[in-house]
Amino acid sequence: MTSDTASHKHSTPVYAEAPSPVPCQQRIMLAQDASHAEVARFVEAMQALQQPVTLVGLTGRAPHAVQQEIVSDRASLGQRLTVLLDDAPLCTRLHVSGDEAFLWHCHALAQAAGLADEQIELIRLGQRRHLYCVHCSCLQEIAEEGEATCQDCGVRLLVREHFSRRLGAYMGVCLDACDPRGEGRP
Amino acid sequence: MTAALEVQVAGICQLTPVVREFTLVPVDGILPSFSCGSHVQVHIEAGGRTLRNAYSLLGDPADRDHYRIAVRLQEASRGGSRFMHEQLSVGDRLRLSPPANLFAPHSRARHHVLIAGGIGITPFLSYIAELQAKGASFELHYAYRAGLTDAYLASLRQRLGERLHGYDSLQGQRLDMGRLLARQKLGTHAYVCGPQSLLDCVREQAAMLGWPQSSLHWEAFAAPEPGAAFSVTLTSNGRQIDVPADSSLLETLEAHDVELPNLCRGGVCGQCATGYSSGEVEHRDSYLAPAERATTLMPCVSRGRCGSALTLNL
Repeated sequence: MTSDTASHKHSTPVYAEAPSPVPCQQRIMLAQDASHAEVARFVEAMQALQQPVTLVGLTGRAPHAVQQEIVSDRASLGQRLTVLLDDAPLCTRLHVSGDEAFLWHCHALAQAAGLADEQIELIRLGQRRHLYCVHCSCLQEIAEEGEATCQDCGVRLLVREHFSRRLGAYMGVCLDACDPRGEGRP
Repeated sequence: MTAALEVQVAGICQLTPVVREFTLVPVDGILPSFSCGSHVQVHIEAGGRTLRNAYSLLGDPADRDHYRIAVRLQEASRGGSRFMHEQLSVGDRLRLSPPANLFAPHSRARHHVLIAGGIGITPFLSYIAELQAKGASFELHYAYRAGLTDAYLASLRQRLGERLHGYDSLQGQRLDMGRLLARQKLGTHAYVCGPQSLLDCVREQAAMLGWPQSSLHWEAFAAPEPGAAFSVTLTSNGRQIDVPADSSLLETLEAHDVELPNLCRGGVCGQCATGYSSGEVEHRDSYLAPAERATTLMPCVSRGRCGSALTLNL
């Protein structure tokens, strides 16, 4: 990702604040919402670098004069990305904007298509994040809270700052082993 | 450290006026298996000291009854390649450090671009055996001087056909590195072995294009070049050791029973990195980042600048 990653000691990811102005043959941007102001800002910065940009959006349209397409759902987005990368030059950079779960979903698709981690820049929009219950494997959306109750197994979870790139989620572990569901002892 | 292997020279073949191939068989038992891209260190007793020169293992990694290495006679040799060319005979015994690999092909690459300069062809001979066996997609670019550093060219032509691209410097044929790198698709990995000028050229072009660093792999097998004599002081016991002009710091430390972990002995792998606290260093490695050089040096290739005394954190 960004050069900040190296100095970042924990698994919590660091996200891009501007496209890195490095040489490349083309840039592809995947946007969860192409009409978001941040997407416009990134596209503008990329165009200033005089490198070809393709924008693929899940919803919305960018107000910008950029080559853009809209796909109907996540599955089509994955298919479109695979097609775009199939014959892409090696020096391709991918930018992904959206919530954290969307970012890491696209990150996994891109790596499977042959992009290296250093070629992918993630732009996090919004505060929603995914929580993974280590007890029942359920994934649920949370905001910034440090504790949550698992939607599936009902265990009260401590949200650890341990982030899984594979799952795109933070690890939730049982908050109180003596009283897992917060119901008090029988 | 792993015990050295005892081998015997079973065959010598002069491939070009400056390149000799040696077939080495175990004195007893079988040899350790190796992965493609591996090298061994040959312990050479020359001029009253032990040099350890690294040579790529040629041929098919599946063969375990013999190893093959090819040695280019270096003009500015410190004696290692000269010994191998002029003194080593069939039947002689040699000691080898077991195979190590710092230059393996990437397992998930969709296409491999191999770039060799002169004797830098050697690691690719084992690559080709493996890539062909797997049916992998690859191309080989081989820059050489006809009749001098074009070892294995004829057999490679036969084996590879159009996948071999040869560049003879005598005929002014040049490899357009920028174009070669620019036309590669996603999923390609490139591997370079050859003289420093070739590595520099590839790295410079790759950086200009924005190649991901993880897609570029390189190996330089330059023996340490001589320089001015200098001395080092060991911090732990205050011992002072003089490094002669034609020995590397690593070799000199080894001769004084100071053993450091090491694999490539060419300033690439980073194993022997050693801290220092005073003195001016002439850094000759391809491993350390500029910021690290203020406090760390690679004793396999680097030296005290203009005879500067160094204090090592050893």
